[in-house]
Amino acid sequence: MFDLIVKTAFLSLFRRKLRTFLVVFMVASSLWGLMFMQGIYDGMIEQMISNAIKSDSGEISIYAKDFRRDKDVKQYIKNYKDIEDYIKQNENIKSYTTRVLASGIIATAKYSKNANIYAVDLECEKEHAKLNGYIKEGIYGFGEKSKGIMIGFKLAKKLKLSLGKKVVLSSQNSDNEITSASLKVTAIIKTNNMGLDENGVFIDIKKAKEFLNIKGVSQVSIVFKDPGYMYAFQKEIIRDFKSKRLEVFRWDQLYPALMQSRKYMEMFGYISYMIVFLMATVGIFGVVLVSVLERLREFAILRAVGTRFGIISSIIFLESFLLAMAGFILGIIFGGGTLYYFSIYGLDLSAFSDALDEFGMDAVTYAIIKANYFITAFLAVMSATILSIIVPLKILYKSKPTEVING
Amino acid sequence: MASFLEIRSISKVFNQGSDVETVGLEQIDLKIEQKEFVVLSGPSGSGKTTLLNIIGGLDSPTLGEVILDEVNITLMNEIDLSDQRRDNIGFVFQAYNLVPVLTAKENIEYIMKLQGRSKSECDKRVYEISKKLGIENMLNKLPSHLSGGQQQRVAVARAVASKPKLILADEPTANLDSKSANELMDMMEKLNEEEGITIIFSSHDPMVISKAKRLIKLKDGKIEKNEIVS
Repeated sequence: MFDLIVKTAFLSLFRRKLRTFLVVFMVASSLWGLMFMQGIYDGMIEQMISNAIKSDSGEISIYAKDFRRDKDVKQYIKNYKDIEDYIKQNENIKSYTTRVLASGIIATAKYSKNANIYAVDLECEKEHAKLNGYIKEGIYGFGEKSKGIMIGFKLAKKLKLSLGKKVVLSSQNSDNEITSASLKVTAIIKTNNMGLDENGVFIDIKKAKEFLNIKGVSQVSIVFKDPGYMYAFQKEIIRDFKSKRLEVFRWDQLYPALMQSRKYMEMFGYISYMIVFLMATVGIFGVVLVSVLERLREFAILRAVGTRFGIISSIIFLESFLLAMAGFILGIIFGGGTLYYFSIYGLDLSAFSDALDEFGMDAVTYAIIKANYFITAFLAVMSATILSIIVPLKILYKSKPTEVING
Repeated sequence: MASFLEIRSISKVFNQGSDVETVGLEQIDLKIEQKEFVVLSGPSGSGKTTLLNIIGGLDSPTLGEVILDEVNITLMNEIDLSDQRRDNIGFVFQAYNLVPVLTAKENIEYIMKLQGRSKSECDKRVYEISKKLGIENMLNKLPSHLSGGQQQRVAVARAVASKPKLILADEPTANLDSKSANELMDMMEKLNEEEGITIIFSSHDPMVISKAKRLIKLKDGKIEKNEIVS
């Protein structure tokens, strides 16, 4: 019997080909558009998060206690070697780097600006933060005797700096003395981490320790093989270094706005799926309702010859299901295919790069594909299928076969 | 011994309690035995279709009961009535009413499939019955590719294929030309004899009435005449 139910439902969809095509097209195109938008938006957010993690926070950052509250250069981690030994023993850690952070002023002959000083080991940063990948102009290095400086591109623009120009970097050292160094611009960098691009300067860590007169580091940034491990690691290190006056933050605690953006995107996704669900429900409902009304007599005959209402309901459900599934399959093939393409080649939005820079976004956005897109779309379409047949089935159930057959 | 079909004091009132209350049937008592070939005749509105619908469990009487093969079908719920129609009653309607997306063969075996019969059993029976009705060469055609007469034969085959105890045919020749109508009636007679199925027609077609072995005339919802013709 099942074969007849399937055949009846399937072939009935071809009775009004144009109508069926339009509903399938509507469901497919809505899903395609939705998946494309969600994949691109999620890609943008994930790229921003990735940039922040790579260029600054890692997945976990360790600071001396109170450093985040008062960024005094004296608040540094004195026992950072113990932390390094602890990290090296942990197989879950992919990479780490140590940095000295300080606030200062960068000045040219004409201009001066506040600067956030990131004193780094370039070799470590190359592996940990892929900092070399952020070079916009110049070379990845601090030049002879480490007297070079790499500057965020927005800061360079404000100071009208170009490669090879000299700057004076001033800061307060651990003895509360104002100290300064003359440095030459070796590179202009663009990380799309707004804090770094607008105020960040990178100098050599050894030079900074001399310059600032400190014997430790301000930050230990860590990236894990499995990002999910950060929660457990945060608890472990807090427990194991309880008496060492440390503070340990995850990236989402250091960049709450990005985490918020991710949550907004999730909410946006659910709202979008709700819209697709409503569109699919209305479309399928229209087709099924008209189809049932057109075939009241046919269904009445089937009931008259002994078909239980449950079997007739199955035929109608299957029609609606096939209609929705055709739209769903086409939608995810085109949507998934489009996302796959843009996940490899990226969506080039460089025409809007100025606007994107303002938000710390990359000019080329790489889409991401999550299994969640397909699952949510499937659930939305299935719910639409079920909801759209309730009224037509109710109408059919209430109709009396004798009245319908005899006209 | 109880009759095969007993209709006991059946009355049917439409729109009961309203201003447009209409009496469809009034105190009908009738006994029909197995293998009978009965024609219900009478003018439009005399209650022929109403009586057939009540016998077939498609409609319920206002009063009275229908006993089919010693089972009171007026007490059955919707699901049991469906099963009763599927297993024991075959229907032939005026407008053929085949499923348009299924082939003639699929239409014929539809009820057997509802009954859960095997493919080989269905194939055998479809071949057997289609041969008797002269439609064996049309089995793979869709109803839209068949003439009215051919469609009605497929409808008869669908009703007969599952070997019901009773066939109810509501004006089956009304949409056919006289030649096709004659052929259909001859086939129905043959099925009645060979398959031993009780057949009840409703019709006001003189040709159909002339074939009746028992003629029941209805008028204004009452039996006017009930006679054995041959």
